[in-house]
Amino acid sequence: MEMKRIFSTRRLVFLSILVALGAVLHVVEGMFPIPLPLPGVKLGLANIVTLFAICLYGLRGGVAVATARVLLGSLIGGIFLSPGFLLALSGAILSTLVMAWLFKHTSCFSVIGISMAGAVTHNMGQLLAASLILRSSAVFYYLPVLLLAAIPTGLITGYILRSLLDRLEKTGQLRIMKME
Amino acid sequence: MMEKKGRYLPPLLLALLVVAVVTAPLYLHREKEYKSDRFLMDTLVSIRACGRDEEKLKEAVTEAYAEMQRIADLSDRFPAPGSAAYKASDVCRINENAGIAPVRVHREIIEMLLLAKRYHALGKGAFDVTIGPVMDLWGFAGDRPKVPPQGKLAEALSLVDSRKLIVDEQKQSAFLERRGMKLDLGAVAKGYATERAARVLKSRGVASALIDAGGNIRVIGKNAGKRPWRIGIKDPRKSDGIIAILSLMDGSAVTSGDYYRYFETGGRRYNHIIDPRTGYPAAGNMSVTVMAENAGVADCLSTLFFVLGAEESMELAGKSGGADIFLVTADRRILHTPSLKGSVEVRSGEDYRHDQGR
Amino acid sequence: MTRGDKFLAAAILLTAILAIAFPRLHSSLFPVATSSARAVIKAQGKIVREVVLSDSGGRSTLVVNGRAGPSTIEVEGKRIRMKEANCPDKICVRQGWIEKPGDSIACIPGEIIVRIEGAAPLDAVTR
Repeated sequence: MEMKRIFSTRRLVFLSILVALGAVLHVVEGMFPIPLPLPGVKLGLANIVTLFAICLYGLRGGVAVATARVLLGSLIGGIFLSPGFLLALSGAILSTLVMAWLFKHTSCFSVIGISMAGAVTHNMGQLLAASLILRSSAVFYYLPVLLLAAIPTGLITGYILRSLLDRLEKTGQLRIMKME
Repeated sequence: MMEKKGRYLPPLLLALLVVAVVTAPLYLHREKEYKSDRFLMDTLVSIRACGRDEEKLKEAVTEAYAEMQRIADLSDRFPAPGSAAYKASDVCRINENAGIAPVRVHREIIEMLLLAKRYHALGKGAFDVTIGPVMDLWGFAGDRPKVPPQGKLAEALSLVDSRKLIVDEQKQSAFLERRGMKLDLGAVAKGYATERAARVLKSRGVASALIDAGGNIRVIGKNAGKRPWRIGIKDPRKSDGIIAILSLMDGSAVTSGDYYRYFETGGRRYNHIIDPRTGYPAAGNMSVTVMAENAGVADCLSTLFFVLGAEESMELAGKSGGADIFLVTADRRILHTPSLKGSVEVRSGEDYRHDQGR
Repeated sequence: MTRGDKFLAAAILLTAILAIAFPRLHSSLFPVATSSARAVIKAQGKIVREVVLSDSGGRSTLVVNGRAGPSTIEVEGKRIRMKEANCPDKICVRQGWIEKPGDSIACIPGEIIVRIEGAAPLDAVTR
């Protein structure tokens, strides 16, 4: 029986590179001290990679990269299946879905805006998971801090992605990466 | 392309600045907790200290442990004669010189002995740190405790009398009048050491801490400076059950129970808390928890009240300078002093009867 | 940056500010199940008392000093109420008994807040 491939080999290769990048970012951003007593709450830098995947390969690509990089990153960081892992996964999935929807269905936001939205929903997803794990709504106490942090981090990742996309477009790499 | 690049840089830097400015003070000034465990005095001692300066907390806690170790070394009566630990122990020297001559000891030992004598008088003999000879007969310190023969017990009991423990505060000396008398500070040393540790922490500026010395709890201030510490009282018959929760602030909670060290033979349970008046284990209660500001006092009182029994203890509680009691009797009744009402949450369930209306 | 982006940034900022200003919104959106609760009493911003609320608690009263003078709080088992207060309109007194976690009584002139919180884990066990 012939199985239809979701991704071509070429895409698979590029996606894998993105996953590796994302995993590294996932681990690196885990080393940033966050002033909150919640394990695994992160800045969401790895969103760059997820959004990148969405820009090139749509929702499927985004979800694939997001899940894979959380899994890989957690295995590397040694927090696989810990509460921190669940938080990261919730944040990543939620933000991927939101960013993908925004990317496809809205035209008023640039990559920067979508990145900010991604950062916000990433944090919200983490808080949501934390509140379920701890069975306490007290975690939402940190919502304002995370929201405020999401603006600059979203901006940063957005700008980084924007300039990355521009460069790749200029050199023609982007077209190659988008190919089947 | 070059101009485009220039456009990104300022906002990028600005955003980075915002992140740094927002997170840095939050991070530096967050309430931190320093937790540490040490094996001391034959048990696990855990200290949790909250504050903003982690280094300071660490130093204070280390000093607190050192103080506890010092008290432990001074009051240990079990090291082998001739060993360094034996020579360092004041209690060993006192015991060695029983019936011979007074011994000059450290101030802390004097304080412990004075505490012991005070509660010996208050309890009319139901609390006695000269219980050493009787404890040795029962063998609770070793692996094979057993019921001692009546004759030997009576002999050993004749050596138990805190009135024959002479403490001279001026000269800082202690003397056991009769040969063969032995001090055993087991009922006061841990609590006293815990209290000293708490004083060390306080003197180092720690305003919020919890010391758990094998079940002897001493708290300073509130949890993270915000709410009272929640201390559970262990169910005397269920290994992981809690029968009550206390709200504790700046005080201590010490429990004496019959489930901690005991042996069973001939269908009876013999626990390690001996009634100094009879030479046999006190049998009226399963667990007595005393709440007092001073952990040394709480330690003495918990042992005393365990021996005395419910009614007498409740009466005496008033005379012991504001101590509170939470008691579980041998026939499964739960009683506590009325002033505990607002700060204890009883979870008696079906196994115990909560005697209210006191 | 597009206009949409700027708008989004402003919206997030606004939400953050609102979240700081009204923290109680979240506790009513996410009620927590409890086995036994306690009431936290705050006067002028500081926690002055914590009362355990349980069925076997019995009846007791306590006095709290607020900005407008002393107020009397009454506890009856699992319920708690503001019995008397020194404020002019006594809205807090008329509120009556509260007993569910998340419920609260506020005396605004006196700056007293009585709020019921869920059960928290133990810090240590005495044994």
